[in-house]
Amino acid sequence: MNVFINKLYIWSRSQKNRDLLIQFIFVIFVGLFFYYLASKARLLDMTLSHFSSRAGFGISHTFIIDYTSNDSRWVSYFTGVINTIRVCIVAILFASLLGTIMGVARLSKNILFSTISYLYVEILRNTPLLIQIIFWQIIFLKLPRISEALTFGNTVVISNRGILLPSVTGSNNGNIWIILIIISIILALIVSYIVNKREDVEGKNIKLFNLKINGNLIGILLFFTLTISTYFILQQPYNLDLPSIYQNNKGTFLQSGGFEFTPEFGGILFALVMYTGTFITEIVRGSIQSLSKGQTEAAQALGLSNYQTMTLIVLPQALRSIIPPLTNQYLNLTKNSSLSVVIAYPELFMVSRTIMNNAGHALPVFFLILITYLSLSLAISMFMNIINRRVTRIGT
Amino acid sequence: MTKNFIKWFFSTFFGSIFNSIVTILSALIFIFLINNIAGFISTSEWEVVTANRRLLLIGRMPEEHEWRIWSILWFTSFLIFSSINSWGPPSKKDLLLISSSIIIICLIFTTSSKILYVVISLLICGASYFTSHFISKSSNKKYFQNSLKILWLLLLPIIFTLLIIGGGPKPNLWGGFLLNIILAGIAIGFGFPLGILFALGRASSLPAIKTICTIYIETIRGAPLVGWLLLAWFVLPKFLPSFWGINEVSVVVRAMIVLTMFTSAYTAEVIRGGLQSIPKGQIEAADSLNLNYRTKILQIVLPQAIRVVVPALISTFIGVFKDTSLVFILALTDLLQVGRIIPEQDPEFFGKALEALCVVAFLFWIVSISLSNLSSKVEKSLGIGSR
Repeated sequence: MNVFINKLYIWSRSQKNRDLLIQFIFVIFVGLFFYYLASKARLLDMTLSHFSSRAGFGISHTFIIDYTSNDSRWVSYFTGVINTIRVCIVAILFASLLGTIMGVARLSKNILFSTISYLYVEILRNTPLLIQIIFWQIIFLKLPRISEALTFGNTVVISNRGILLPSVTGSNNGNIWIILIIISIILALIVSYIVNKREDVEGKNIKLFNLKINGNLIGILLFFTLTISTYFILQQPYNLDLPSIYQNNKGTFLQSGGFEFTPEFGGILFALVMYTGTFITEIVRGSIQSLSKGQTEAAQALGLSNYQTMTLIVLPQALRSIIPPLTNQYLNLTKNSSLSVVIAYPELFMVSRTIMNNAGHALPVFFLILITYLSLSLAISMFMNIINRRVTRIGT
Repeated sequence: MTKNFIKWFFSTFFGSIFNSIVTILSALIFIFLINNIAGFISTSEWEVVTANRRLLLIGRMPEEHEWRIWSILWFTSFLIFSSINSWGPPSKKDLLLISSSIIIICLIFTTSSKILYVVISLLICGASYFTSHFISKSSNKKYFQNSLKILWLLLLPIIFTLLIIGGGPKPNLWGGFLLNIILAGIAIGFGFPLGILFALGRASSLPAIKTICTIYIETIRGAPLVGWLLLAWFVLPKFLPSFWGINEVSVVVRAMIVLTMFTSAYTAEVIRGGLQSIPKGQIEAADSLNLNYRTKILQIVLPQAIRVVVPALISTFIGVFKDTSLVFILALTDLLQVGRIIPEQDPEFFGKALEALCVVAFLFWIVSISLSNLSSKVEKSLGIGSR
């Protein structure tokens, strides 16, 4: 017995064995906790079988999928996912743009411009996003009623039912034209790449009427000539669709045509853009400030203008330290889009909440939400990692 | 003099074509904003706020429990105003912000029946500010600072004793701005230590602990807070043990649990950044001095790690405070919920949603901006970013 205790003592003196013991105890406790959770979860229905039955509720915003209330819950869920992706992509684009402009503005010598940026950041960063969402919705609903709608020569119609913008409708040749556009983009990229490379490496450039033509310009010209010529060759595959308001025979106002920018979509989009924009502003400002002052001074010594200094010297270098925190903000934006549940924009969270209320079985639906958000986050991270790798590549 | 001014004026505002365009655009934005704000102020009626002051601040808390709120307010204001001077005098900008926000809050929320209490609060603020001003110049500064630190640590327990002692109101009667502050306090007070543990676990060299902590942090961060709150609303009661009536805990407690878990995951990520910034030599030096794990962590690693991330931590805490407004999803009557319900349900105030929302936003803004000023002050005093 004594020998055994002695051996145990010697065994426990080893750091490796102690680590093993600690981990073992920890895993046992976590395992017991999960066993307890699983024993409770066994009483619940953990399958998603109710997702294949009829949804039975309408969704006000559908995009790509033509959803009706007779479709299954899966279809309604994916309609929600697509709505989320749609609002996130638009919001990310505009928030980055706004954040960059405001971040540059914050450091501008123009006091008026920097004051706007300062007030924007200090006010909007420190109020909850939820309040901002509700604020924008109230603003949208305070627009004039549809009978007194503001119209700008039949191109834009603004009323409290939404903002109608001109859009395009396609005919049969539409898809062919889109494929041709993609081909011409690729062609333009290849041509401009070749021309640029030739100019950089061999020092030869193409001259037209004694004017030096840059590769980018050639690409852009090529793209426009190809798209415009095919547009007429295919007998105008797309037509401009102008919005209009009319009264039916009972005197009610109806709106038709155009791209509808609803108060819900506008509310969530404005709030997400403005709120995330403040954080991006701070990131851009921090990154620009972290650059050494010699860079700007060198650029000015070379005679570059302020605009050129910013776009050619400062921002490309700042981009390296901008991208990792920017990715974080994009992920936050994606998660924050779930707040549109307060103003009834039917994105993935709102749709699944409706399903939970209708059918119960909250836990499996919640796991589905979790997986969806995780995959959205993963997609954004992967995309941003690719960009990050390109940006941080130095010397090539 | 005037010539210089004109020269400066033209070079800053109309130095180049691009600059002139920017100036004109900014001026247009300013005019647009001022025009709209002036229009809003001239047409707004603030009775929706003045008639519901009590509801906005403390919700449906019964009249006989009001002394609890006042004593908490007095204690907290004593603590805050003693601390302003104790760690270096505040800047003029900070003083202006503090005094103007106090004046505005008093103007909005003072009722004639409660004017005595408000005066007492203001006296406490002023008295503690000036006492700390004199003490910070005397030789007793160190003791005063230390006792304040202890009081700050005890703040949360004291608030809860005051709320609960002698048959206080049930948690579902907490409401209004009080609820937001309580939720944020609990979430930060418990979430921060938990976050340190999770961060240490994630930085640990033991694979099992590291994996489990990583999974916890990433899962919590993976879904939005609204989702977790919804889970707490629908599912949590089914998973709580049935003894002691734990499974019947009120929605407020469930919100607290979720917010604490959420805060712990986010602070863990922030602190992990701090842990990674510590030079390896520090840890090796601690090892070569043969310090044990606890001493090494508590006296070498954590003080340095947390020092680096204080600004990021405070901005996480601001985020948590703002996120407490999300308890709308649990139908709790927090500040935002009250501000939304009054104009919707009281026909007298129908259509006055924007006025109520402005006051709600202002209250959130004041707390957040004070915290963010504190953050930049701490950042300066620690010398981060100036190296």
